[in-house]
Amino acid sequence: MIVFDNVSKFYDYHTVLRSVSFTVEKGEMIFITGPSGAGKSTLMKLIYKAEDADEGEITIGKYNVTSIKPSDIPYLRRNIGIVFQDFKLLRGSTVYDNVALALRIRGINEKEIRQRVSEALKKVNLRHVSDSNPKSLSGGEQQRIVIARAIVADPQVILADEPTGNLDPNTAIDIINLLRDININGSTIIVATHNRELFRGTGKRVLKIDSNRIVKEEQG
Amino acid sequence: MYILYGAKTAVKSMVQEKWINLLCVMTVASSLLIIVLTGLFIYNIDYLAEKLHERFGMVIFLEDNLSKEEIESIINKVHQRQEVEGLRYISKDEALKELRERLKDDSYIFDGLEVNPLSPALEIKLKRSYINPQQVIKTSTELKTLKGINDVYSAEKIAEVISAFYKSVSNMGLIILATLASGIIFVVYSTVKILFYRRKDEIETLKLLGATRSFIRVPFLFEGGIIGFMGGLISIGISLVFYFAVTYRLSSVFPLLQTLLYPTEIIAIFPLVGIVLGVTGALIAVGRLRF
Repeated sequence: MIVFDNVSKFYDYHTVLRSVSFTVEKGEMIFITGPSGAGKSTLMKLIYKAEDADEGEITIGKYNVTSIKPSDIPYLRRNIGIVFQDFKLLRGSTVYDNVALALRIRGINEKEIRQRVSEALKKVNLRHVSDSNPKSLSGGEQQRIVIARAIVADPQVILADEPTGNLDPNTAIDIINLLRDININGSTIIVATHNRELFRGTGKRVLKIDSNRIVKEEQG
Repeated sequence: MYILYGAKTAVKSMVQEKWINLLCVMTVASSLLIIVLTGLFIYNIDYLAEKLHERFGMVIFLEDNLSKEEIESIINKVHQRQEVEGLRYISKDEALKELRERLKDDSYIFDGLEVNPLSPALEIKLKRSYINPQQVIKTSTELKTLKGINDVYSAEKIAEVISAFYKSVSNMGLIILATLASGIIFVVYSTVKILFYRRKDEIETLKLLGATRSFIRVPFLFEGGIIGFMGGLISIGISLVFYFAVTYRLSSVFPLLQTLLYPTEIIAIFPLVGIVLGVTGALIAVGRLRF
């Protein structure tokens, strides 16, 4: 599903990732962990082509991310649902419109959008706030909106970059449990986090990054 | 779907960013108003010039002793020329009668004449596009070569004045149109560019969610179009108020103003012109998007 083959990334003369190789199977959920500045976020950005790899090759399904044409990047990203640490919600829009945006981008008709948004909000227990402005909701609720937006279009892969970074411990556990439920339904999920509590006891594969390379692979 | 989303987002942005958009609409409206008023001026001058053109004619003096067939042959040859709009044959007797009528009280000078000294003639009207000094001289020279024609009176000087007048009025109009149209495009460009930067974070999110370039651009193109359309409507509204004020109020002081014309076509044309200029400005502002 996702293949990293000897991928390196440099910023000027500074190495961020060196010779990173790993594979994520379809339907798998993995955690990428490591200290701040280890390169977790960069690795995630390489997957959705917000950054370009300087060496090596990245493949996601049928897309070779390293050699993809600029005009195909939007279509690559439509296969990926992204959960951002800073939410990236549109402040002037309602919860419903934020989630619906992922489908409007894909040119889906409004009738189907209504149905799918309703289902996605139900999965994250937020159907009752669909007409609210995200600004009026708590951090945990905002992160659940982001998860609803990430899953509403049924992408092949869900990337969560520090999804609990701004949340209290209990809400953080709720968010991880929600992602695990989504994974049970067949989605491939990669979670980048520095918080070891989130994957302890999950039984999921954990890749530890340190000093710009994968130094350890273990079970959570 | 993109179109519906684009229209909704543009309207939402027009409301959210009402002051900058209002300022832009008013600037576009002012520029379009100047274009409308210039257009009206040229249209009315053109209308008057049309009358001037109707008065312009050439006179072909024929030889005295031509038979009826020879005259008809000359008339046919002249009539077939592409620059000729119409012609009138004036016989010797008619020429003398017209001259007498024109001289009125002084017409007694012809009383002692036993022979009519005037020549038969053809008075021709040229098509408007052919009224310029070069063409008039060319026509005159070519006509003189026809058998049975004595002389041609062509009035090149009048043709020169009419031609220069048309040229200067239309050139002035074109310069004003080009300058103000560029100004409108620049104003819309600047406004959309500001709006684009204000929504930079939102656009970044859209890109990461998989939006194509057209999905991101369409709302801005709509916004440019709406600004242009509203500017067009306002300029038409003000120009109508101006027209009625001039024709009804000021005409009591200057009666000539009552003859001013307002072609109704521009009521439909200017909002469309506004849309085209607005969309062009927005298109340049959005430009190339990188992913």
